[in-house]
Amino acid sequence: MTKILLIDDEPDILRVLSRSLRADGYEVSTAASGAEGLTEFERAHTEIVITDIKMPGMDGIEVLKRIKRLNADTEVIIITGHGDIDKAIEALQYGASDFINKPVRDEALSIALKRAGEKIDIRQQLKEYTQNLEGKIEIATRELRRRTNFLSKLIRSSYEGIVATDEHLRIVVFNPGAERIFGHIQEDIVSGRSLAEILPEEMTALFERALNAERAYKEVPWREASIQSKSGERIPVMFSGSILVEGPHKMGAVAFFQDLREIKNLQRELVHSERLAAIGQTVAGLAHGIKNILHGLKGGRYLVDVGIAKKNNEKLRKGWDMVKRAIERTSDLVMDLLSYSKERQPQYEPCAPNAIAAEVCDLVRERAEQEHAELVCEFDPAIDQVLMDPHTLHTVLLNLLSNAMDACLFDEDTGKRWQVTVRTAAEADGTIRFEVVDNGTGMSDEVKEKLFTSFYSTKGQRGTGLGMLVTHKLVEEHGGRIEVETALGQGTTVRVWLPYRTDQRTA
Amino acid sequence: MGKKVLVVDDDPDVRLFNTTVLEENGYLPIEAENGEEGLQMIKSEKPDLVILDVLMPRQSGIRLYRELKTNASLREVKVLILSGIAKKTFLRSQQALTEFGESQVPEPEFYLEKPVDEDVLAATIKKILG
Repeated sequence: MTKILLIDDEPDILRVLSRSLRADGYEVSTAASGAEGLTEFERAHTEIVITDIKMPGMDGIEVLKRIKRLNADTEVIIITGHGDIDKAIEALQYGASDFINKPVRDEALSIALKRAGEKIDIRQQLKEYTQNLEGKIEIATRELRRRTNFLSKLIRSSYEGIVATDEHLRIVVFNPGAERIFGHIQEDIVSGRSLAEILPEEMTALFERALNAERAYKEVPWREASIQSKSGERIPVMFSGSILVEGPHKMGAVAFFQDLREIKNLQRELVHSERLAAIGQTVAGLAHGIKNILHGLKGGRYLVDVGIAKKNNEKLRKGWDMVKRAIERTSDLVMDLLSYSKERQPQYEPCAPNAIAAEVCDLVRERAEQEHAELVCEFDPAIDQVLMDPHTLHTVLLNLLSNAMDACLFDEDTGKRWQVTVRTAAEADGTIRFEVVDNGTGMSDEVKEKLFTSFYSTKGQRGTGLGMLVTHKLVEEHGGRIEVETALGQGTTVRVWLPYRTDQRTA
Repeated sequence: MGKKVLVVDDDPDVRLFNTTVLEENGYLPIEAENGEEGLQMIKSEKPDLVILDVLMPRQSGIRLYRELKTNASLREVKVLILSGIAKKTFLRSQQALTEFGESQVPEPEFYLEKPVDEDVLAATIKKILG
């Protein structure tokens, strides 16, 4: 129920108006003077005050001012006498909501009260809206803070180093991951330091380029690089970056760093342990090779002994030949071992790859005939004289060809027509492809796996277990690559790509 | 007449060594240079002993040994394996073939690893042939 305070120095008016207002459903309190009215207002806190303007002591204007001061939302309606228009305007200026003339007519009063009621309602609604809005803003703010916290926790707890900058590449975010990598602490960095102070020049340049680029280059894709930490240590990292954009504006840049030290260490350890394993296999492989040679030596010595004892020159000669062959084999083994273990830079010389391939084919032709294998040469006539290491090519092809011959020799399927094909082909990428194909015994997966990684031979006393290792090493030193395709019982194809140079000056 | 001994080895030096030891000790040596040829000669010459290498072209000693031990008429042929390959490795290869579904073969009774001295070789042959 709306409460009204009625102030008038005339008791009759008070009585009549209050009765009429109560009849209209208002809760009415009355006061006979301005001072009394204020006291009553402070007690009852009515929403509406109706006050006479002309009163002895405190007049209506003063009452209005004080009430507004106590509660600005109170609707104050002024009752004015005849000719009080100036006072009425003054009252409006002080915040009166309406004025009605004496004698007060019920109609005018109810209109004024209705308007005041509407104002109160609107103000109430507005207040509710405002409170609602405040509530919603508070919820939104909480959510925003939660997300911001989440993001900043995410950035803080990321093991990756994250460095973000403003649009002038001044660092604004430097997370603990970045502290670990760079060795700087966040407080030192996030105080106007620029990206250029912690990153190598070329990395900063990438960001500058990306930041200044109109459209493209907004991302710096992952790449390997190295940075220098505070202590001067070179640290290998994977890094990527991107430019932060909001609509048409560039806000800054962010860079992500992954510390590669651990991975690099692991790789080094792995290589080391693989090498150790290879050495173990070398020893086993070598022991086998040496055992066979030793057997030959013992045989030779025995024959020589028999020859001497029986004065048998033929035995003596045969024995001595065995000793000489054992020496030869020892020397082969040692040479293979040396060429495997020694680093060698390829010597680029003008040479004709097809001619070298033909030469190697000539070397094995006699053996091919003995073993009933057909030797086929298919050389690409487009290959001209190039700069390449002829020694590498010669050794590699001879190794592969004698392997191909062995593959036919060791083949148990004697119904086959063995064929070994040597092919050369100029490739578009500045390499020449050399292909040695045989339809011999082929390799099991187990043998193929051991092909390049260990000193391994399936050929008994024929092999040193080093041929493919030497081949692989030579190809790698020449910047080429090698590929093996094989199927047990069907044969093997080895492809070698060797890059060549054409210009004498670059040799 | 001495007992007939077949030497199967792809290395001519090993064959020469072995045959000389055999001759010097009163045996009658014959030679084959791979497993395939060896099998034919075992059938045709019926030697008292086969001295067998393991890693050979055409047919390996692993395969030939298997042929001998799974063929009822050849099972009694005495075999001395003489190889650069350790006995352990030879047995593992046989084991692998058995696992692939081929029949079980007995372990070789006599096994020598190269290099071997002529007197050890002669003594072993003598022990086998009595």
